[in-house]
Amino acid sequence: MTVRLFFATDVHGSEACWRKFINSGKHYEADVLILGGDMTGKAVVPIIDNGGGKYTFHLQDVKRDIDGADALAADQRAIRDHGYYPVVMTADERNEFTSDPDKLDELFHSQMRRGVEEWVAWADERLVGAGMRCIVCPGNDDRADIDEILATSSQLELGEGNVIDLPEGYQLASSGWTNLTPWDTAREEDEPLLKARIEGIVAQATASPDRLVFGLHAPPYDTQLDVAPKIDWDTLTVKGQDEAHVGSTAVKEVIEEVQPILSLHGHIHESRAAVRIGRTLAINPGSSYVEGTLSGCVVELDGKKKLKRYRLTMG
Amino acid sequence: MATKAPEQTLFVRKASGLVKGWSSGDGFRYSFFSVNLFLAFWSMAYACFITDGSLFWSIVITAAFMVVEIVVYAGLISAMPRAGGDYVWLTRIFHSSIGFIVAAVGWWFILWLWTPIYADMGVQTTIKPIFRILGLNGAADFLSKPAGIFVASMVVIAIASVLVAIGMKTYAKLQKYFMYIGLAAIVVLGILLVISSSQNFKEKFNGAAVKYYGDTAQGGSLKESKLDLTKYKTDENGLFATDADGNYVADGTHATAWESIQAIGSGTGMPSSAFTGTLKGTLWLIPLMLFWMAWPNWGATLYGEVRGAKDFRKNIYQMAGGLFLPTAVVLIFLFLMNWKVGYQSWLGTYAAYWWGISPLGGDSISPTAMVSFLLPNSALQIVLIGAASLILFGWFGTLFLSSTRMIFAAAFDRILPEWAARVSSGGVPYNALILLMTIPSIIIASLYAGWPISWTNATSGVTWIKEISYDATLGIVIMFFFCGLAFMVMKWRARSVWESSSLPKTGIAGIPWMSILAAIYAVFMGWNIYMFIWDPLGAYAVGYKNKASFIFMLSLYGTAAVIWVISYFVRKHQGMALEAVAKEIPVE
Repeated sequence: MTVRLFFATDVHGSEACWRKFINSGKHYEADVLILGGDMTGKAVVPIIDNGGGKYTFHLQDVKRDIDGADALAADQRAIRDHGYYPVVMTADERNEFTSDPDKLDELFHSQMRRGVEEWVAWADERLVGAGMRCIVCPGNDDRADIDEILATSSQLELGEGNVIDLPEGYQLASSGWTNLTPWDTAREEDEPLLKARIEGIVAQATASPDRLVFGLHAPPYDTQLDVAPKIDWDTLTVKGQDEAHVGSTAVKEVIEEVQPILSLHGHIHESRAAVRIGRTLAINPGSSYVEGTLSGCVVELDGKKKLKRYRLTMG
Repeated sequence: MATKAPEQTLFVRKASGLVKGWSSGDGFRYSFFSVNLFLAFWSMAYACFITDGSLFWSIVITAAFMVVEIVVYAGLISAMPRAGGDYVWLTRIFHSSIGFIVAAVGWWFILWLWTPIYADMGVQTTIKPIFRILGLNGAADFLSKPAGIFVASMVVIAIASVLVAIGMKTYAKLQKYFMYIGLAAIVVLGILLVISSSQNFKEKFNGAAVKYYGDTAQGGSLKESKLDLTKYKTDENGLFATDADGNYVADGTHATAWESIQAIGSGTGMPSSAFTGTLKGTLWLIPLMLFWMAWPNWGATLYGEVRGAKDFRKNIYQMAGGLFLPTAVVLIFLFLMNWKVGYQSWLGTYAAYWWGISPLGGDSISPTAMVSFLLPNSALQIVLIGAASLILFGWFGTLFLSSTRMIFAAAFDRILPEWAARVSSGGVPYNALILLMTIPSIIIASLYAGWPISWTNATSGVTWIKEISYDATLGIVIMFFFCGLAFMVMKWRARSVWESSSLPKTGIAGIPWMSILAAIYAVFMGWNIYMFIWDPLGAYAVGYKNKASFIFMLSLYGTAAVIWVISYFVRKHQGMALEAVAKEIPVE
């Protein structure tokens, strides 16, 4: 019997994309949904309270004025759909966040936690009785305490560091950890440590390689899945249109050694592609969360030695 | 006085990903090359088929509507920056079938036709003039024959394939140098026109005619040029003027090649100036101008790979730059030709070519070659013609580049099989390039070259290149029309995309200005499609009056429809719903 997976990744705080992900099972008639990491958003939009029910904020460099509670709620939702956290504050509070990095960090932390808690609650409500499973694995941009919130869910299964049984004898081995990035993110480490981590997770698997699926946030190095803009690590600026392979050698080596039937990745939003590494089909569906569009892939595990049926989606 | 720090409008934490920057210059140059100056020269050659329009004002009016096109496409790109462009927008906003059928013709099948167009343009504007100057008349004559045209097409395919294979980044670098050199050459051509008198131009032209073309022109000598238009076909509308007795006014013996050209120009009844003409004639010139002006958005299928493509205003600026610069250059060039060469005479050179009555034999008289004759020696003339041609050759890579992206996108959606999207380790889309573009292009090129069938018999009163040119234009214009409609209804058909975009949301009576602009654009493109298909003057050669063209165009749409239907049933059998791939997942 065929198991149909839907995999998406890197929604980065976009509420529209999270909701689409939860709804994707019905849309694509999937048996199992898998989110490959980086759930939390990257930015806070300060909505300045001007008093008298009037507010101001900037989105995509455009100044917006809000008048009234209904308009405020609609714009907050639009900001969340965009992947940002809307926070109402006074101009003085904004100045405090600007001048105090620790206070700003705490603001981010609380917003991320609150955002994930709300997402989990929404998913729990939606997935009850839906007849499908949903596995969520954080990524390198998600702080460690996100796992605790996910673990409280009645419907979501936590992927990080685990091997999870899938239907028809398949197993999913997941990790959101990546090789080092210029941003010093929450779950990154150098290649030898990352390789040891992944090998440790894979060692838990009992399925044969043709029934084993990897869900590793970092894409394999030097493939079509890991091409990103080349940047200066000191200034964090892009240099022209130059590109570079930024994936993980550890991930590539483990794939080459184990040869799982399928390896699912994310992390590099621009590298939407599918490639074969030996017998392994490796896919990075990319991410276009800023547009409110969910990039993903539908894969059919049909029990055969070579996986052929898959398609990249944009929904 | 202390400066006040700017207020923070967005707090960004340390997370992987970038606040992206990109080179607007690359996008500008891609548009500049697409609104190609050599295509402009080629399009203006068709102006002699409509004798009462103002070429100048038709260009100005078309440019105004192309600004609207730029806004529409900048909006589509910034809302949905995806490789595949038009295909992706149409499949997502309308339906998988509509998007595939329209975009497969517009960005895939019709691009096969551009192979012989590019080849013919390269040969006529650059290669043959250089061969004539070098005295390689045998080689120049060979390029006029079927085998020569076929060889030229193969060279174009090779160049286009190499430019795709080296990748977009390297191609962008090449384009930068080609643009600088090509524009410098165009400036030199302009200066030559400014500093030369009309008399000097005529003398130099006649000198070059005798020196470079004397052996092949009528009678072997151009000191006297005898025209007998009755020997040549005219189009159905009797383009050449006749006197009261019904004789062609251009007939007769003329002392020099230029006098023959002048007689042909005046004989067609052209306006004496590019700035005068009837409104109707001017409007009817607009579909002909689309052949060069409709393409500032040619890079639309590639924007998914360009960093920063979500920036609506940047998209507008770079495409507008790519439209305005060549348009300004062309208008200045038109003014100078009008002034120093004479508008009727200049168009006479084109009419002479189309009807095979050129005093220079079968060669087209390229404006760049014609002006280069003002230079004192052959080597400088060749350098100038060659340098200017970099604007044409730098554009050859677009032949397959956009097509491969549309093919990729359709393969990702599984309308086409997976193998169509395979790329080499260096990122070369070898299957799309070889099987879906190169081989069909070779077949089309061979048909164009007249092998194995002489297709010129299938047309009447018009040249085959014109038919090919405007079939190639019509297929893309139809796709643009649908994209105009798609942007018009985006707010309602792709609500979450619309809401997430940075597009201006203001409007009137609940209708966004963006939708209104899109409606204007769709009406404009719809009018052009009407003009092409009904072709009231018989000037465009691609409407229902031309059965070969009409059947050809219908067959392209039919082929795309068959592919989609087959794919639909194959995927359904495999448990995939094609239409679900293109549909937006519900948010609530």
